[in-house]
Amino acid sequence: MALHLNLLHEEILEQRQRQRDPLKIGMMVLAGFGALLFLYYMFCAYRTLEIKSRLSAIERNWTKIEPEVTAAQKRVAELEGVIKTTRSLDDYIENRFFWAPFLQRVSHCVPPNTQLINLEASVLDENKGISVSLEGVAAGREPRSVAEDLRQMLIEQLGHAYNGVKVEFKTLEDLDTIVNVGGTNMPMAHYLLGINLHPGPMAKSAASPTPDHTRKQ
Amino acid sequence: MSLPKLTKDQVQKLAFSAIGFVFLLYVYFTFFLGPLNRSRAAMLVTIQDRQSKLDASKDEMKKAVSLEKQALTATNRFAALRALNPEGAPIAWFPPRIKTFFANHQIDKAVARLENSAAFKEAELSGWMKYTWMIDLPQADFASIGTAIAELENTEPLLSITRLHIQTLASQPQFQHVELAAASTIEKR
Repeated sequence: MALHLNLLHEEILEQRQRQRDPLKIGMMVLAGFGALLFLYYMFCAYRTLEIKSRLSAIERNWTKIEPEVTAAQKRVAELEGVIKTTRSLDDYIENRFFWAPFLQRVSHCVPPNTQLINLEASVLDENKGISVSLEGVAAGREPRSVAEDLRQMLIEQLGHAYNGVKVEFKTLEDLDTIVNVGGTNMPMAHYLLGINLHPGPMAKSAASPTPDHTRKQ
Repeated sequence: MSLPKLTKDQVQKLAFSAIGFVFLLYVYFTFFLGPLNRSRAAMLVTIQDRQSKLDASKDEMKKAVSLEKQALTATNRFAALRALNPEGAPIAWFPPRIKTFFANHQIDKAVARLENSAAFKEAELSGWMKYTWMIDLPQADFASIGTAIAELENTEPLLSITRLHIQTLASQPQFQHVELAAASTIEKR
């Protein structure tokens, strides 16, 4: 068996001690950890760059589309406004009270021996109906019954077209004046009729007809 | 393996290294990784936001196209209603127009004067004004006024007669004195 002599024992020991130097080992561990952190940072930076490129692509897309979208939104708002306004105007138009059919019906009710002197009519606020005041004179053997006939006729005729028709005498009084109707002298009565009515569906939707040439008596 | 005995110098170095390591970590997370993550999170939020806007914009465009088709009738009707009234101040064109209208029905001396004007309460009619006119017809016969009112109501859909007063003329019983209060809806221009 060969004999080995280690003449560099101290140097080798010193070298081993240098290799096991904790500071050196710590520095190496630190460097390794630093490298890991750096790699992780690079990985994160790469992901961020990728997201950034995605974002810029979407931004480009959005920039391209945005004017069209804004224009479309503006147009939608405009169209919705037009639709609402048109609907409101149509409601306004349809809710008007048509006076021509009313006048036509009144003229049909007036018999030859009565005369209307004054007609005052108005649309009550908030669609509460129509208020009419009719003033006139009636002639006949029984002038009061002639006026009553007119009232009944008005109720009947207006009742066909309107809802809630009320025709009431505000005044009905005999006059001293005698009038000659068809060669016969007849007494006269003065009347004031109050009419209240609500426009029915027929009156709302039907446009005004051209009245015939029935003259006011 | 037993740990080698450290010299004072080595302990100092190790302590400084440990402090440096902690500082390095602090710098790394605060100034490098933290801002990077924050910016990435912010970008992701922006992407989501933009993406939802893009998706909504597609719906918006589709809605605009379909609404355009649906609103065709309304837009035509609206244009027709707008065209009923000419440009300019109503006080300038309405009275002559009414005068001409009644003159065409053999009713002369028609006078229209502006009573008042007011805005509508409804938000959708904010672009329109209601003008109230008093129309005075000192001499008209019942048949003519009936025909004229019928035509006025049919040809002027935005005009509504709110009050009517017909009175027999004592001097000429065949004629009546007529007063109309009419509300016309006119676009603000």
